[in-house]
Amino acid sequence: MKYLLCHASGGKPPVTVVARRGAAWFGALVLAWCGWGISLRAEDAAPEQAVVQILTYSQVPEFDAPWRFEPVRHSAGTGFVIAGGRILTNAHVIAWAKQILVRRYQDPRLLTARVVFAGHDCDLAVLELEEPAQLADVKPLEFGELPTVQSTVVTCGYPAGGDQMSFTRGVVSRIEVQPYAHAGNRALLAVQTDAAINPGNSGGPVFQGNKVVGVAFQGIPGLQNAGFFIPPEVVEHFLKDIADGHYDGFPQAGLTLEPVQNPAYRRVLGLADDGRGARVDSLRAGGPAARGLRPDDVLLEAGGYPVGSDGMIPYQGNRVAVGVAFQQPQAGEVLRLSVFREGKTLDVDVNMEAYDGDRLAGSQYDQPPRYFIYAGLIFTPLSANYLETLGEPGRDYLWKGLAELTYQLYHLEAESPGSGRVEPVVLCGILPHAVNADLSVRGRVVVNRINGVRIERLEDVRRALLENQGARHLFEFNNPEHGILEAIDRAAASAAHTEILRTYGIVSDQRL
Amino acid sequence: MKLFRLLFRVAMLGLASAAALPAQSGWEHSLVSIEVTSKVYDAFQPWNDPTRAVRKHGVVIGPGEVLTTAQYLPTHTLVRLQKGGRGRWYDARVTWWDAQSNLALLTTEAPAFWDGLQPAALAETVSRGPDFELIRWRDGNLEERRVEFGQFTVGEGVIGFAPHVQMEVAADLSGLGWAELIVREGRVLGLTTHSNGRVCGVLPATFIRRVLAAHRAGTFTGLGYFDFTWQPGGNPELLKELGLDGPPRGGVVNRAGHVTDPDKAPQPRDILLAVDGFDIDSEGDYLDPDFGHLMLENLANRAHFAGDTVKLRLRRGPEERTIDYVVPVARFADELVPREVFGAPPVYLVAGGLVFQPLTQPFLRGWGDEWRKHAPFRLQYYQYADAHDRRDSLVVLTGVLPDEINLGYEDADLIVLDRVNGRMIATLADLAEALKTASPGGVHRFEFMPGHNLQRLLLDAATLDEATRRVVEHYGLPAAARF
Repeated sequence: MKYLLCHASGGKPPVTVVARRGAAWFGALVLAWCGWGISLRAEDAAPEQAVVQILTYSQVPEFDAPWRFEPVRHSAGTGFVIAGGRILTNAHVIAWAKQILVRRYQDPRLLTARVVFAGHDCDLAVLELEEPAQLADVKPLEFGELPTVQSTVVTCGYPAGGDQMSFTRGVVSRIEVQPYAHAGNRALLAVQTDAAINPGNSGGPVFQGNKVVGVAFQGIPGLQNAGFFIPPEVVEHFLKDIADGHYDGFPQAGLTLEPVQNPAYRRVLGLADDGRGARVDSLRAGGPAARGLRPDDVLLEAGGYPVGSDGMIPYQGNRVAVGVAFQQPQAGEVLRLSVFREGKTLDVDVNMEAYDGDRLAGSQYDQPPRYFIYAGLIFTPLSANYLETLGEPGRDYLWKGLAELTYQLYHLEAESPGSGRVEPVVLCGILPHAVNADLSVRGRVVVNRINGVRIERLEDVRRALLENQGARHLFEFNNPEHGILEAIDRAAASAAHTEILRTYGIVSDQRL
Repeated sequence: MKLFRLLFRVAMLGLASAAALPAQSGWEHSLVSIEVTSKVYDAFQPWNDPTRAVRKHGVVIGPGEVLTTAQYLPTHTLVRLQKGGRGRWYDARVTWWDAQSNLALLTTEAPAFWDGLQPAALAETVSRGPDFELIRWRDGNLEERRVEFGQFTVGEGVIGFAPHVQMEVAADLSGLGWAELIVREGRVLGLTTHSNGRVCGVLPATFIRRVLAAHRAGTFTGLGYFDFTWQPGGNPELLKELGLDGPPRGGVVNRAGHVTDPDKAPQPRDILLAVDGFDIDSEGDYLDPDFGHLMLENLANRAHFAGDTVKLRLRRGPEERTIDYVVPVARFADELVPREVFGAPPVYLVAGGLVFQPLTQPFLRGWGDEWRKHAPFRLQYYQYADAHDRRDSLVVLTGVLPDEINLGYEDADLIVLDRVNGRMIATLADLAEALKTASPGGVHRFEFMPGHNLQRLLLDAATLDEATRRVVEHYGLPAAARF
C-alpha cells in the first residue's frame, strides 16, 4: 500500500477563500487507493458493470536529482464509465502514470488507457481506452444530487483486502469544505461518510440508488469510520471545465474572510446584530478580489448565497464555508458579491481566475521537475516536492538552511508582496568533480544571484552562466543579508561540464 | 552576627591553611552536592510560577566558595548544599552567576558546612588526555570513573550563545552534565555541562580560571562574540575573485555585524586573515598554543572580554588592512528572539482576555523537548531574522481567555503583533502605552504582522478595563499584567 500524506507546512494557501481560521487545512489525510489484483466472479448486475479497476504503473521523479526517476511503482484504484465512453477516477490514481491498465467487471482482459484530463486540484481525472470501442457496450453511470446528511450511500470499488469488487454501506455523516490531500494546498466541498473507504477504493463511485453521488477519494488515518468522497457539484465543475478541451482548474478569488461575530467589530463596521456578513481580512495582491474589494469590506452575499457572520453559507440543507460559493463559477466567469462598505451596500463583480501562483507550494504531478546542471552544480525550482526530499513534515527547524527554504517557499511573498521570486531556485546538489570540489556549499540553498544577476526563475541561472565572460562564476546563496559566496573558474567549469555529465550518466544537462 | 562572622572566618582560615591538593581519593572533601529549586516558565499560563528541583554538583575552590555551573540557578528560589554525599542540607546563597560563561559561585553562612572541606585546585593548563577521571556523588557514595579525552571545540554554551572553548570527553555513563568534576592528578580540569550519548561537554579549568579571575578583580565585562558571520576560505577561486591570490586561507565575511562603519568592523566580502595576531587558516581556524586548532570565534574570548578591542587583519579588495574591532557583549536581550530571559519573572499582559507575551525561545520551548519540530514554524523563523523596522523585540498573542468582550476571537493565537491603535509594538510596555488611547469608533485596534493568518481584531475600548478585571477574577490570575 502507498500512503500519500499532504503537506504540513503550517502555511495557509493564501488564495483560497476560507471562512474560519484554524480549519484543519493540512490534516493527515490518506488517499484511498492501491488495492491489488482482482478475480471477478460472474455476476450480471448493473450499475457495477460500469465500475472498473485501474492498475497504474507510475514513476515519480526524484526532485533532488531531477533528471532521475524512482523505481516503477504498481498501484491500483477504481474508476467508472461516464458519458462519452470515458472513465472517471481520482487524479491520484493515475498521477505520474507510465502505463494505465483497466479491468472491466467480469472481464479478464487488460485494456490500456490514457489520461485525457487530470485535475489535480480537485483530485479527478478522465481516462479513455486506447480502443474506446471496448467500452461501447457499457452503460455509463449518471450523476445524482448532493446526498443529504444521514441518508444512506453505497460505495463500490476494489479496496485492499480481497480480489473482488467490494460494496460498503453507510450514511452521510457531514458535508463541508475539506482539504484535498492530493493537491496539498486546496480545499473543496467534500462529503464524509461512515461507509468504509479504504486504499483501492479511490476513484470509485458512491451510489444512492442507481445514481452516482460522489467519487471516493480519501480518509484520515486514525479516524475510524470516516471516509470522504467528492460530491457531484465538484465532479460536474470539473467535467464542465474540460468541455472546451482544456482544464483551467477551480478559480481562486484571492481573499481571506473572517467571521464578524464580535460586537465591537460589528459596531465599527456599522453592522446590525443580525448574524449577517463575513469580513475581508486580507487580499492577495493582484488577485481578482483585490480589484474590487478592500480590507474590512463585509461580504453579505456571494453568488446569491447569504453569508453568515460565521463565514458560512446555507447550502442544500447544510452550512458550509463561503468558499463553496467562490468555487462554483468557472475560470473566466463572474461571481457577483453583495458587499457592505462604509454604511452602503454595493454589488461587486469578481472575474474569477484560475491561479497557479502557489503551484510550487502544493504537490506537483505529471510534469517532471525543471533543472539545469552546470559543472556539476544542479539547479532546480524550490518546491514542496523538493522540500519533501529533505525529510518528513514536522521537521527540525533548528537547521537554518531548511528554515530558509521553508520560509521562502511558503511565507515570503505573503508577508512581503513583491519581494518573493516567481520561481525560487535552489542549488539542490553537486556532482563531485575537481572543478567544484572546493565549494563549501553542497546544496540545499536558495540561489540569490549568479554573476550579479538576481535569480527569479530557472532560466535566469542558464542566462547568468552562459552570458558571463569573466574569469569566474560568482554565486550568492540564500537571502541577501546572509549570502554565502562561492566561485568556480569559468574555463575549467566549461571544460569539465560534459565530462561530469558523462561520469554521472546524465543524458541532458537541462529540462527547462 | 559579629560572633558568627568571626567563627566563620576562623573556620575559613583553617580551611585555607589546609588548602593543599586533596589526596587522589580525597575528592569527598571538595565535591559537594547542590539542590536547586527553580522557577519553571509556563509558556501558556505565564502567571503561573511552577518550580522544579534538581541536584547537581559543586566544588569548593576557596574560603566559603563553591563553584558550579550556572544552569538552573538564574531562576532559583532555594539553593542548598550538602557535603559528603549524604546528611544535612545547608541553605546556600548564590553570590554570582553568569549565563554566558555558565559559571556560578555559591556560599553558605553555616560554619558547620565548611568543617572538613578543602578547596580543590583548578588546573592551570588543560592538556589532551588520554584519560581523565570523572568524580560525582551517586547514591551517597563517591563515584570515580575513567573517561576518555575527546577533543577541544569551540561552541555556544549550554545556556549562553557566546562561543568559547569547551572540551569533550567520552564516558560509559549516563545522566552526566550536572557539574560533575573532570580531574587528573588531583586537579580539577573542568565541570561537565551536558551530555549526548557517550559524549559529555566540559568547561575547561583554564577558561573557568580566566573568568573567575576577572570577576574577582571586578574587570569581567561579560563574554563577547563576533557579530559578523563568515565562511571558511577554502575555495581558492572565491579568494581570487575577492582579490587574494595564493594558497587558501582566511575566513570570508558574508554578513556584517551591527557596526556598519567599515573602518571599525568587517564587511561582506572581506577576508579575515588574522585575528588578535593569530593567522586564520582555510577552515576558519587558528592554532591555539594551549588547545591546538580552534575555530576563530574563540578569539573573542580567549584573551579578551566584551568591550575589548581585537585587531582584525583583513583583505578588502586589492588592499590589506587592520582594523580595531570592539567585541560586543553577548546579551540575550539584544536578540530579536532572546534565548533566555533571566532576572525577572515571565512577563505577560492580558487585555480583555487576549494574552500577550514577548516572543522568546523559552516560550517556544513550551512545545516540549521536541519544540523545534512542534512549535509554529513562523514563530521559530523569527529566530533567524534580524531586528528590523526599528523593532528589536516582538510581542505575540499567545492565546485568548474567552469572555464576552472577545467573542468571536476565541481561537486567535500565535500571531505576532504589528500595531495597536496605530502604534508599533515591540514590547509589552509599548502595548500598555498603546492601549491608553483608543482608535476611532471607541475600539482598540490590534493589527498583526502581514501574512499572518489573522490581520486585525478590535476590542471595545469603553469596557476593556472592566472586562480585563472580570477575566482576571474568572480565570484566577494573580494580576492582569506583569512586566
